[in-house]
Amino acid sequence: MATETAVAADPASEQDNIIVARDVHKWFGNFHALRGVTTTVGRGEVVVVIGPSGSGKSTFIRTINRLEQHQRGDIIVDGVEMTEDVRNIDAIRSEVGMVFQSFNLFPHLTVMRNITLAPTKVRKTPMDEADASAMQLLERVGIPEQAEKYPGELSGGQQQRVAIARALAMNPKIMLFDEPTSALDPEMIKEVLEVMKELAASHQMTIVAITHELGFAREVADRIVMFDEGQIVEDLPPDEFFNNPRHERVRRFLSQIL
Amino acid sequence: MATVEAWQPAPSLPPPRTETGWIGWAKANLFGNWLSGLVTVVTVPIILWAVWSMVSWLVGPADWTVITSRPQQYAIGLYPTEHAWRPLIGWLLVSILFGMAAAMWGGAARRIAIGYGVVTVLLGVLPYGMFHEGVVMPWWVRAFILGNLLTLGIGYLLGSNAKTARPRNFVLGGIAIYVLLLLILNGIPGVPGMEEVAPRKWGGLMLNLILAVSGIFFAFPIGILLALGRRSSLPVVKVLCVVFIEVFRGVPLITLLFMSQVLVPLALPANFPVDSVTRAAIVITLFSAAYTAENIRGGLQGLHPGQAEAARALGLPGWQVTMLIQLPQAIRNVIPAIVGQFIALFKDTSLVYIVGMLDILEMGRSIVQGNVQFTDNGRENLIFVAVVFWLFTYTMSYASRRVERRLGVGRR
Repeated sequence: MATETAVAADPASEQDNIIVARDVHKWFGNFHALRGVTTTVGRGEVVVVIGPSGSGKSTFIRTINRLEQHQRGDIIVDGVEMTEDVRNIDAIRSEVGMVFQSFNLFPHLTVMRNITLAPTKVRKTPMDEADASAMQLLERVGIPEQAEKYPGELSGGQQQRVAIARALAMNPKIMLFDEPTSALDPEMIKEVLEVMKELAASHQMTIVAITHELGFAREVADRIVMFDEGQIVEDLPPDEFFNNPRHERVRRFLSQIL
Repeated sequence: MATVEAWQPAPSLPPPRTETGWIGWAKANLFGNWLSGLVTVVTVPIILWAVWSMVSWLVGPADWTVITSRPQQYAIGLYPTEHAWRPLIGWLLVSILFGMAAAMWGGAARRIAIGYGVVTVLLGVLPYGMFHEGVVMPWWVRAFILGNLLTLGIGYLLGSNAKTARPRNFVLGGIAIYVLLLLILNGIPGVPGMEEVAPRKWGGLMLNLILAVSGIFFAFPIGILLALGRRSSLPVVKVLCVVFIEVFRGVPLITLLFMSQVLVPLALPANFPVDSVTRAAIVITLFSAAYTAENIRGGLQGLHPGQAEAARALGLPGWQVTMLIQLPQAIRNVIPAIVGQFIALFKDTSLVYIVGMLDILEMGRSIVQGNVQFTDNGRENLIFVAVVFWLFTYTMSYASRRVERRLGVGRR
């Protein structure tokens, strides 16, 4: 079980860690999905999470915005502890953007309305203001011309870029990516990765991304965290992770996916 | 060094033609193999014979006097003749809505309004109700009927004017007209000419339509609440909704109608101001709401769980996730089922004969059975009533198909 004191590369105090997880456990029925996960993520850090399917990596990042509830341990996001308290959860969720493997755009709303929905309903941003910033975001992800279309009329890569814009519209401090390119056709992976790279390079927000795009991990990640069997197996900067992992399990996994 | 060849995609060709005229079509579709050919050889003569018998009856011995001499009863039942102008006023008001819808939404709404206008003109000018037994349809009734073209036009103007053409106005106007219509039919105490006509005396097609419209109007929101309640995490709400839905779905409508007349009065004070028609309307509404609830619940369950997750991840509170993300999609996905339910509701309104109401079907039956000269005209009566029902239900399913297509934009 990894302890993080050694790995926290930054000289990070507790305040500088926007995400703190201590001994997090989660069960689905009898299945022990998370078996004591302890880690921290610093402000502005880019963390790539990898691991075999069923290793708990997706469950873990879903506990960060409480789409899954952990049953033991503590998760503290931006100083707020994730508990039963509903107001805490909504407050945290509006600061944590999430991008899903299957896009999950709202098919009955136009691209524009997908993006402006949360700002206007949760933040009470005036409609024209929300429209203007939505348009900026669409330009940032490179598809301003699709604003009035419905999600079903876009390609997978375009949909995922809209999903990223939708999450960014809330000005989140943290962005969670749950295998954002796994459902895409090969020729569309690049356009989504480009957007993610641009986000990572801006260093405006903390990013936790599950992805098996190792080139992306090598290029932009500050740390790579590998999950297996509900635990963190390895947590290292990319160079060390690829060239000099401490666990044989990492080498075996890399050889399986490369 | 390998040379790089320029690559050209092959030209896109038109698809091969497989059908050559109607002979080719018949060969492919009617005589494709020996079994298909056998089915064709057996069924085509049967169909032709049935059509021939029907047509020769229609042009020969069929006698429509039973209908043409009694338009008033088919339309409004035993509503007093001296007050017959009141339903006609109500009809004029309803036409406003058709005109307004036609102007606001065009397409199917416009086509329905045109069909409605054509039927109205036919009803106004066709020579029925004039020549039999000295019954003559008064000229002012025809004037009222043709007046619907005027109110249809007023509605169209309202729907074309940017100030008034708002969906909200349409809905509020619809509710206002509905309430006004019931008030006019029921009468206003103290106003001359507006003496009370108790709902027991309402009948004919008017009764079917009032029951159906009330039923649809209330069953839809009640059904949504029941569907949400059944998925609620509050055990009391959930159990109440499950019990309600299962009771109303598990008991035949006829039984419920009987119970509404026989059992409910026992539980209410003797002078409780709910007449039998209202009770029937409530029962039909609740029955339909239970089915609507299950349809909508099915739609909610068919949604990808990622939809709610994405909305929650954006920080939307639970009720907004339901109202803005889940319900709109769920309802859109089950429009065919809900419209099917509403068509069933419309047809089921004829079951109010059970509690002694003279809806169009029961009215027709009593005309045929109560008049010696019409005892042989049961067929004409039934065909007429069936056509009337079909016209309305087909319009509903046509409208539903168009709405589906319009809402299907960008679906995946």
